[in-house]
Amino acid sequence: MKGWKKLIPILTALSLVLSGCGSADPSAKEQAPGEATADSGKVLRVGRMTELFDMNSVIATEADCLEIVSAIIEPLFITSEDGTPANALCESYEVSEDGTEYTFHIRKEANWMGGTPVTAHDFVFAWQKLVSPDVASEYSFMMEVAAVKNASPIIAGEMDPKELGVSAKDDKTLVVELDHAVPFFLNLMTFPSFCPINQAYYEEKGTDYSLGAENLLCCGPFYMSEWEVGGNTYQLKKNPEYWDADNVKVDQIDFQIIKDPQQTMLAYENGDLDYVRLSGEQISKYEGQPGFTRIEEGYLWYLSPNLNPKSPEYSCGLENENLRKALALSYDKDAICFDILKDGSIPADFAIPNRLAIGPDGKDFRETAGTYLKTDKEKAKEYWETAKKELGVNEVTIELLYDDSDSTPLIAQFLQSEMEGTLPGLHIELKAQPKKSRTQLMQDREYQLGLTRWGPDYADPMTYLDMWTTGSVYNYGEWSNADYDALIEAANGELATDPATRWEKLKEAEKLVMDHAVILPVYQKGTAAMVRENVSGLYFFPVGVGTLYKFVEVK
Amino acid sequence: MLKYIEKRLLISVITVFIILGLLFLMLHNMPGSPFNDEKITAVQRAALNAKYGLDQPLHVQFINYIKAMLKGDFGVSYVIQKNMQISELLKARIGVSVRIGLQAVGLGTLIGIVAGVLAALKRNSWIDTFATVISVVGVSFPSYVFALAMSYYIGFKMNWLPLLYTESDAFLSSIMPTISLCMFSMATVARFTRTEMVEIMGSDYMLLADSKGIGVLRLFGIHGLRNAMIPIITVLAPLTVELMTGSLVVEQIFAIPGIGSLLVTAIQFNDYNVVLAVVFVYSVLFILVMLIVDVLYCIIDPRIRLAKESR
Repeated sequence: MKGWKKLIPILTALSLVLSGCGSADPSAKEQAPGEATADSGKVLRVGRMTELFDMNSVIATEADCLEIVSAIIEPLFITSEDGTPANALCESYEVSEDGTEYTFHIRKEANWMGGTPVTAHDFVFAWQKLVSPDVASEYSFMMEVAAVKNASPIIAGEMDPKELGVSAKDDKTLVVELDHAVPFFLNLMTFPSFCPINQAYYEEKGTDYSLGAENLLCCGPFYMSEWEVGGNTYQLKKNPEYWDADNVKVDQIDFQIIKDPQQTMLAYENGDLDYVRLSGEQISKYEGQPGFTRIEEGYLWYLSPNLNPKSPEYSCGLENENLRKALALSYDKDAICFDILKDGSIPADFAIPNRLAIGPDGKDFRETAGTYLKTDKEKAKEYWETAKKELGVNEVTIELLYDDSDSTPLIAQFLQSEMEGTLPGLHIELKAQPKKSRTQLMQDREYQLGLTRWGPDYADPMTYLDMWTTGSVYNYGEWSNADYDALIEAANGELATDPATRWEKLKEAEKLVMDHAVILPVYQKGTAAMVRENVSGLYFFPVGVGTLYKFVEVK
Repeated sequence: MLKYIEKRLLISVITVFIILGLLFLMLHNMPGSPFNDEKITAVQRAALNAKYGLDQPLHVQFINYIKAMLKGDFGVSYVIQKNMQISELLKARIGVSVRIGLQAVGLGTLIGIVAGVLAALKRNSWIDTFATVISVVGVSFPSYVFALAMSYYIGFKMNWLPLLYTESDAFLSSIMPTISLCMFSMATVARFTRTEMVEIMGSDYMLLADSKGIGVLRLFGIHGLRNAMIPIITVLAPLTVELMTGSLVVEQIFAIPGIGSLLVTAIQFNDYNVVLAVVFVYSVLFILVMLIVDVLYCIIDPRIRLAKESR
């Protein structure tokens, strides 16, 4: 019996602990404003796969975060439905004749919530932060892409961020100086990294800035009304002080994080969500149903042959152009897209994806550019015979490096069987690595043939073409061609103010890359979403901000 | 006993440091870095490493980490919530994992003991068969099978319970996760209870107690069950910690913002400080629960004496 008596205090303690846990809950409930369901008005409910990582515009890199940043803190421009930049916080602008100086006039009626005007100083402050080595933003390179004066030396820590080529002429006039003209500069200005930040607020919040809904100052169509870091929901509400509030048609957007795609669809079918992204095989299942919406992504998947291996270990004959062409034509891209992926991906017979960039003629780049390296197994065999003769071998063994993400292993296995089937005497050895290691190996040039992808950073073919210039870090295959380098240099330099000629040169550049089979394109990634039929005005873009919420309507 | 606990705590502290040290080594030898974006240039990576002190030699980093940790500073997250204090990040998530875990263990143990005792008392009856089937099912089916089945039939088809976990309806929306998590502990406890009870009921002291004419409740409740508790507690302890620290799959299915999913995300993104902190919490909980178990042994069965106390 003694033992039992000893148990009593322990049980009491345990019950106290347990009741402590229990009582922690209602208090938590009180803290969270329970308005989510009680609110009347038009509400859009969105399902998401990932949490919000970061809401600080100069630090955010995840696609989901960038979307929300641009919904709550607007940049100078936003992307309009047709993919061209439309004025947002910028009311009007002038550009110097040589294209190296932009003067932006910020809307007089644009205010931060609470009434403080959005000023040119807010942009200067944010942009300096973006390049500052103290912040060490992963997207600081966007300032280099935009060629803003002194961006590179500042990022490298060789110059003070105050030297950045951006200044406030007065409260509402922002002047930006560029090292050279950038034809897609306005497109770049839609990217959320270029959003303004109110300096006084930023400094007042200190290290808490952007961590949680209460630590964000907004000036966009919406404001963050609920977001507990680590929570599985967040909420935006219409910003009544927004300069264009009349055109914002929903009162509230609720986001629910569900990591399991099947649960997401149950919640959608249950009527709990209005807009969800489909994943993988779900896409073919829901195709044709009301609300099914196809979305093109800007990602291009391709094989990168190593032309200039650092050590003989990685040498396998891929420096031979005929061998590369033989490989490029040997696999059935349609089967990859329509039988394996079935997610809306399209076969890539190009180096610049569809719907990425609109030219001075108002047409998509792909509409007027050619098609290259289309699957042709007979032609592939011819190239293969030539390649074998030139290399003086009868058999070739190539190691195919790929990563273990999503459907990549399936694609790699299919490529292996197709290539070996079309080209007798060719042996493809598969080498799987986690994505981080795969990237590392390719950056170190320690591979033979790598299956990789590239996502665009801005809406111009240059976001791809720049990659294959001599000395570029991302030129994994180390291809080098003086004509190509000259074309790219011209397009970035003297032709920057002559968009039509530049556009033609970009097409030539793409042709060079394809003619030399510098990369072997496989497919352009596609995806799809389910959007309830009473929802309209959601715009999807393959680059920058993936979903634009400003114009969404719920009937 | 106090002396024993003191000694155990001291060993525990050393153990935790060894765990952290090993983990530190392992993490930093993983491929990639927290800054994995292939578009980051060498200059940017150097700046990022310098900012977070990742450019220093490993032992210096470790010493700095421990120094800060002893002051209660677990560092900041590099990726998941950039620059946020880990303690803040965990605080938001640990509560829900622990609560659902404890609910699951509590419910599982209760049902398990009742089922086990009944099965032992009515050996070879339909109750026994039923309990055996249930425990085989509970042990062999992973918890996400129950989770998926329940969310489809109860949450989606019949609409009786919320499909996803919400803070605003924490009780109702935690029922399905609790049940799916409790199945394994319920089955395990039922199995052990039955086996132990059957054995104990055949022992001499039970025969003696029975022949003395003690009431059934006292006979099985006190003399029987109490002796059966030792192995049950042994299996239950690690299970409790496991459930309290969150089950990844069940958290994903019900969209529970717990630490199970946090750990996996952190490992994927090489968010070193988050991994270290979660493992630290896990280790401390584990060691504490094990200590409590040892103390419980001694209370339940006075024949077990801790350390040299019995001399």
